[in-house]
Amino acid sequence: MSIINYGQKEISFKIVYYGPGVAGKTANLQYIHRCLPDGNRGNMVSLATGDDRTLFFDFLPVSALTVRNFTAKFQLYTVPGQVYYNMTRKLVLRGVDGIVFVADSQWERLRENVESFRNLEENLREYDYNLDEIPYVIQYNKRDLPNIAPVEYLEYLFNRRPRRVTFFESVAVEGKGVFDTLNTVSRMVLVSGFGQEQGASNEST
Amino acid sequence: MSPLENLAIHEEDSQRINQVLLHFLGESGAMEALLIDRSGQLLARGGASRSLDTVSLSALAAGAFSSTAAMARLLGETEFTMLFHQGIKESIHVAAVDEQAILLAIFDSRTTVGMVRLFAKEASTAVGAILAETRTRPQRTGALAAPLGKEEGHPTFRERPV
Repeated sequence: MSIINYGQKEISFKIVYYGPGVAGKTANLQYIHRCLPDGNRGNMVSLATGDDRTLFFDFLPVSALTVRNFTAKFQLYTVPGQVYYNMTRKLVLRGVDGIVFVADSQWERLRENVESFRNLEENLREYDYNLDEIPYVIQYNKRDLPNIAPVEYLEYLFNRRPRRVTFFESVAVEGKGVFDTLNTVSRMVLVSGFGQEQGASNEST
Repeated sequence: MSPLENLAIHEEDSQRINQVLLHFLGESGAMEALLIDRSGQLLARGGASRSLDTVSLSALAAGAFSSTAAMARLLGETEFTMLFHQGIKESIHVAAVDEQAILLAIFDSRTTVGMVRLFAKEASTAVGAILAETRTRPQRTGALAAPLGKEEGHPTFRERPV
């Protein structure tokens, strides 16, 4: 849910990075935190277990552009990917404005990706949201590894809904595709919050 | 669970909320008050102007409050209406305002959790009433009334040159 604060001249949105465990959701936020100028980001908070797996969420507030003298702020969250943390995943989705589904491109992780995608749909339903309406993009991560599925096949699995969305190939730990993903989803969220003049294009596919 | 509505806080409502928060601080003896949306976003802040990472605090408080609400539901309760963290010097009290917001107060030994709790309840009711009015107002007015133009609102997140 977007929040407009006329007194502070701010518009805030919430974007959640979703996907199976160890797919690279936290790596996306870490790279953004490392590479955004200080003035565009706040502190990154990570609630992780002893072995660096996300326990509750990672959180990074960023702000970039001004729309008609209002600062647009985006709160980036990740969810814990492990199956047994579903309750916390659901809590993090509360009030979400946009989603990045981070898939692990490796053949042996396809099943976990599919389960996570289904789990996302189920959890969104609890809030009366659905993927036909909410802005989202897909990021196929770990494209530098040898045992990866072709993008065409991943698209066949994850992006064959009536509404096809923008996808990105990425190597999140090195930053490849990270900012393209962020810029696209934040633009989609803005358009969804404001509406767009007729004739202007929302998503590129 | 129903979807959360988008929220627009207009300037006059923002001032009214700030007045309630300042009144709450005066009565309770707490040092700071944060009105936080349950999705984790800070809506208003009243009190001391010390440097405090209120953005992170809001996200964490909303997470903790939702988490306790989930625990409550496991016990068959609707939710726990307050949350209290006691520190050595400072403590935190979080109270439910309505289905969309919570009120966080930071206080020290100059007051008691009882006082904070008493006046937080009063402040929550007052803020809840203002938020209910806010939701009846048009969300995008003035400069924000028109939809985005094609060239408008393209995010400019750029990597810092290494």
